[in-house]
Amino acid sequence: MKDYNAFREEVRSFLAEALTPDLVRAGELTTSVFSDFEAALKWHKILHEKGWVAPDWPEEYGGPGWDINERYIFQEECKLANAPTVVMMALQMLGPLLMHYGTEEQKAYYLPRILSGEDMWCQGYSEPGSGSDLASLKTSAVRDGDDYIVNGTKIWTSMAQHSNRIFCLVKTNKEVKPQAGISFLLIDLDTPGITIDEIISLDGHVEQCQVFFDNVRVPVANLIGEENDGWSVAKYLLEFERGGHNFTIDIKKQLAKLRKQARKVKARDGKPKLQDPVFRHRLAEAEIEAMALEQTELRIKGALNAGGNPGALSSLVKCVGTELGQRFNELSVDAVGQAVTPYHADSLNPRYEGKGPVPGYALTTMAEYINNRAATIYGGTAEIQRTIIAKQILKL
Amino acid sequence: MTEDQQMLRDAAERYLRDNYDFNARRERVNAGEYMSQEHWNTMAEMGWMAMPFSEELGGLGFGMQECAVVAEQFGRHLVMEPVMDSVVVAGSLLTFEGVNTPSSLIEQMATGEALVVVANAEPDAAPSFVNTHSRLQATEGGYRLVGEKVFVAGGGSATHFVVTARLNDEFAYVLVERGATGLTVNHYPTYDGRSGANLVLDVLVPESALIATGETAILAFAQARARVVLMASAETLGAMEAALEATVDYTKQRIQFGQPLASFQALQHRMSDMVIQVELCRSLVEAACRAHDEGAADEMELILATKVKTANAGRHITQEAIQLHGGIATTDEYVVGHYFKRVAALDSWIVSRDEALDKFIAVVDAA
Repeated sequence: MKDYNAFREEVRSFLAEALTPDLVRAGELTTSVFSDFEAALKWHKILHEKGWVAPDWPEEYGGPGWDINERYIFQEECKLANAPTVVMMALQMLGPLLMHYGTEEQKAYYLPRILSGEDMWCQGYSEPGSGSDLASLKTSAVRDGDDYIVNGTKIWTSMAQHSNRIFCLVKTNKEVKPQAGISFLLIDLDTPGITIDEIISLDGHVEQCQVFFDNVRVPVANLIGEENDGWSVAKYLLEFERGGHNFTIDIKKQLAKLRKQARKVKARDGKPKLQDPVFRHRLAEAEIEAMALEQTELRIKGALNAGGNPGALSSLVKCVGTELGQRFNELSVDAVGQAVTPYHADSLNPRYEGKGPVPGYALTTMAEYINNRAATIYGGTAEIQRTIIAKQILKL
Repeated sequence: MTEDQQMLRDAAERYLRDNYDFNARRERVNAGEYMSQEHWNTMAEMGWMAMPFSEELGGLGFGMQECAVVAEQFGRHLVMEPVMDSVVVAGSLLTFEGVNTPSSLIEQMATGEALVVVANAEPDAAPSFVNTHSRLQATEGGYRLVGEKVFVAGGGSATHFVVTARLNDEFAYVLVERGATGLTVNHYPTYDGRSGANLVLDVLVPESALIATGETAILAFAQARARVVLMASAETLGAMEAALEATVDYTKQRIQFGQPLASFQALQHRMSDMVIQVELCRSLVEAACRAHDEGAADEMELILATKVKTANAGRHITQEAIQLHGGIATTDEYVVGHYFKRVAALDSWIVSRDEALDKFIAVVDAA
């Protein structure tokens, strides 16, 4: 039996020392899954030096070799300490996939560069015409000697503006049924023929991009898995995107923040909003939902610890976790009232030292509310998750 | 689940599936029978009536986790016999530390010979157990009990009642036998196929009938209320899960517009939502029972949350089950409407959803 309390202490004391005020500020001002990029990269490098940047990776690939409880503790302590988030596309998705499907050369080349932060990866799945119906994607890769010639476009490529590489699903055979003609391809973003357009999100910031490929030459050696086997590669990856996250940690943080806010803000009668019975009852119903989610995630953790597979339960917690997160965003918006209206982008920049029009308690509220609408869209929409539940649990 | 719990579940599942036929139950209900003595006796033989009592009292010494496993099966199979009302709820009041209960009564309850239910609600009292207008007055050799009680769950077939009253301005409860002179039991069937009773009392009870008073009585009732919530929630969980399964089976078979109803995405997603709610409730019921048995610090928080959540989800799922079936589910001969009715009754059983929500807030804000 491992001493998890000692582990927690070790994590805590490391965080207390390593998280400098500028990093904590960036963590506090994080309003989506991505923190300020400069801070995220700095934190990535600090974690890499400690050997903790890839909590889910086994030791042989440079991970810390933690069990699920240790990973949970680490995630929780980082959240509590307001650490910025590191960019996760390569660490959580591509990395595990390379370990499973990559050749020895690919693993030896790419994995260390992911760990060090030398390579930043973005994910090229969705296209303007292919969202939930991913298999209908059109970006094509046509063999030409030892290369593919890639043409098409990818959208919702988070952090592409900061990345040097992209992992893509491309169509390599149009004659078969859609799932059977897809391949998984790694592409350098500095290859001629690639342009990146930034997309301004509802909160005024850029996180998403659209990437265009115009006769881009990509070596066949960059294929992951077999040609036309990209769909099963992608499905393996989607499981990591869905199953690897603990929502309770985020929700608890949201709840703590919301309670603090609601103590600060005055309701109609001059008392703290938290004592407004209408608001308090709405909050209580959401708190109860959070407890149900927590107990369900503990059940899943128990199953994983016993060597089981959570299966479609991960779709279930994805639905509940994201929808509940959005519910807390709404409560937060309602708690702070008109303080959600001023738009002042500088205030959310961790390096800004001035004072904007938004009171401190409401600084991130509206941006979080806006940005978190995406939570029920990315990683398989809430509707796709419900279809998975219907198919896998109800056998419909 | 522990091995004990799995064995309990499997045994209950097997017995009820093979023997507790829905149509036979329906015939009993429609014939005005409140319970089947045959089933009652078998349930006692299965050991279910002995579950919560300590081994010294002839019981099995199980906690609420084990009782909940059986209660869930009762929910699935629409068991009408008031087993948990007697052994868990009244049993809890009769075995709380410091109370004065003859051990022979507990032995009779554990063997199914006695069926004891709680009589606390009154026509003019606020729905809180300490608000009682019933009065106990010391007389020679005992007490005179005067009062009126309503909505006594299981009251149609009870052999004894645990009656709440005031004694010298203190909260107290006494044991009254069904045959006591001066007790009128006006019993009636309930919508969920069980029995209820309204009691008019002007009875003389012996001194030994006074089970608890003051602080002990209040603490005992608080514990019993927590267990009411746990049993109501576990039974609701079983009923909602069975309603969901019936809905999935039915929509797979029912053909409309040339295809099974279950092939329509609008209905699939609604059934997926029902799955989500069932799983969330299961997580809470298990956690709350465990917290109660272990006396965990967050016990009350979890128990109250479980009441709110299962009450919400129980209604949602059984209402959806009727809607997704269509007209057939509005009939007495089809099972799904009976889950709906039982869940509605469980919602109201001693602790309401709204009361639990209010208490939840008080507990969380005090922490």
